[in-house]
Amino acid sequence: MSKPKPKAGNAGIRERIVQRYFAIIAETGAPASSLPAFCAELGVDDAAFHEFFPSLEAIEDAFWTGVMDHVLKSLAGGLEWPEFTARQRLLTFLFAFLENAADQRALLQARFGAGGLLARPEALRGLEARFKEFAAALVAHGVATGEIADRGRLAAIYPEALYFHFRSVIDFSLKDVSPGLERTDAFIEKTVHLAFETLRAQAFDAAFDVLRFLVPSRSA
Amino acid sequence: MDEQDAIHSTRFSRTAALAGAGAKVGLNYLKYYGRRALASEAGAKALETTLHEENASQVFKTFSQLKGAPLKLAQMLSIDKNILPAAYLKSFAQAQYSTPPLSYPLVVRTFRREFGREPLDLFDEFTRQAASGASIGQVHRAARGVHQFAVKVQYPGVAESLQNDLRVVKPIALQVLGLRESDVAEYFEEVKARLLEETDYALELQRSQQLAHDCAGVPHIRFPAMYPELSSARVLTMDWVEGEALDRFADGPASQAERDQVGQALWDFYDHQIHQLRLFHADPHPGNFLVRDGDVWVLDFGCTKALPEDVYRQQFRFLDPSLLDDATALARAMEELQLLLPQDGPVERAHLVRLFQDSVGQLALPFRHGFHDFGDPEYMAAIYRNGQANSEDKVLRKLRGRRGSPHSVYVNRAYFGLYSLLSRLRARVKTRLPDWLAPVGAA
Repeated sequence: MSKPKPKAGNAGIRERIVQRYFAIIAETGAPASSLPAFCAELGVDDAAFHEFFPSLEAIEDAFWTGVMDHVLKSLAGGLEWPEFTARQRLLTFLFAFLENAADQRALLQARFGAGGLLARPEALRGLEARFKEFAAALVAHGVATGEIADRGRLAAIYPEALYFHFRSVIDFSLKDVSPGLERTDAFIEKTVHLAFETLRAQAFDAAFDVLRFLVPSRSA
Repeated sequence: MDEQDAIHSTRFSRTAALAGAGAKVGLNYLKYYGRRALASEAGAKALETTLHEENASQVFKTFSQLKGAPLKLAQMLSIDKNILPAAYLKSFAQAQYSTPPLSYPLVVRTFRREFGREPLDLFDEFTRQAASGASIGQVHRAARGVHQFAVKVQYPGVAESLQNDLRVVKPIALQVLGLRESDVAEYFEEVKARLLEETDYALELQRSQQLAHDCAGVPHIRFPAMYPELSSARVLTMDWVEGEALDRFADGPASQAERDQVGQALWDFYDHQIHQLRLFHADPHPGNFLVRDGDVWVLDFGCTKALPEDVYRQQFRFLDPSLLDDATALARAMEELQLLLPQDGPVERAHLVRLFQDSVGQLALPFRHGFHDFGDPEYMAAIYRNGQANSEDKVLRKLRGRRGSPHSVYVNRAYFGLYSLLSRLRARVKTRLPDWLAPVGAA
């Protein structure tokens, strides 16, 4: 047996792994769960697999991270982006993400549809990290323009809250049966509006003040 | 299993908003009855006015928050002055101007969904802020070179949420108006059908081109050009028209001759549509017309109504003066239109015929003498008085059963709207009976 040319052969194996992984989701509606079974079926040994990916989840992680990078890069390159407010940026991001993921409905269903909004699957780690970086920058922009109240250290939970909102948008879109997913567009519009009204308005501060007032009194 | 949860939750929040208004209306009634128990006879009347005003502003606030169908329903009620006490009208008349806007990213998203391109791919300029609201969307101003466009963008999902909204609004509307569901089911169906049509901009485009073509001969009536290649079911592009909103023109310093010309144009426009085309623009709201250099520009063809020939004849034979003056013939005609039903007793019949004779006689008056001065404040005041009296009439209130034709909703709406516009303009117009009703030998 002659040695395969490393580069071409490696690229071929990587491609086969990725293709097979997503084919399984398309066929069964769920990702592969056993690495040995996956490798055996593909005729690749574990060591060869690990040259490319540390785990099965990492295949998908790389995919979602790629989608996210693609969306964020194309947005930042938009002519109007620099002039957009934080609210407009968040809306634009959500619309763009769903547009980019529109032909991946089965994949979205398998990954986002299962496990609830608070699940933190390993396959979404990269996406989550990228989103929170984006959200932190968004909040900084919003605070600078006065759209978002600066609540000091409390502001640290904003990216967390926005990530939860992002997950709920995807969740809504997966259940949406309206033509062109119009209801999802309306959902995004309305909930972002609500979120920014909350981030700006005094109601949130007042609620926090009441909480602060009540919490120590219990221990005292 | 939880497939519908998300949709339910939005439906729930809408219902909750409406229930909120219902509760507040109820609370106002409680306050009213509490205070009235303590008030003198004279004070009671004043309290009643306060009650209507408080309820009107509350109901209006809720309707306008919900956008879509309820807002449209409010607009319709604002024109149908016969149904609502005057206090409601003040608030409802604002409906056109107070819709929550679509964000610019949503407008961009809608363009991508409809055309696969963004506004700035299709136009050199496109305003991020809406220039004005429309009941189910908003209007942006755009340009290619020096050519200016008005681009109407629809709120997403309007068609889907509309039926739901109407279902939620229905019991409250029935309550507020004191109607029984089975008696007005056909009317609601008619309104629903028209509202659903309004969400289809492709249909609006087609109808506006049709009407513009068919009304080309009406003097001083103009239509903006439409752009099918820049339009879809959710986006409608037409020429930008500079001009003065009709209500502002009417309330401004225009001379009597200018008022008469604008009023005549509107009269002729409706006359031609209803009596020649049997297809008409059924939304004579002042926000749908602009005045420039004595011409009236017609915008917004979302709400058009086609009348079947037999319905048309049944409705408009009442314009015939000889029929109106003959109570026996009139009663027969009312039976044919099912305004009188077999179960009505003789006292009821006589009462209804007299009421009908009064109200229709009043509405047909402009047709009677070939000329009408809508500037006569006594004329509109008499119509309102009559409407108010009808709404308080004990026999009418007790009247049950399905009556009349649901087609009449939009005929009435068009004429009420037209008369309101003309009286606001204080215009004097030349009128004539449709040819088939004109006395033989008349010019």
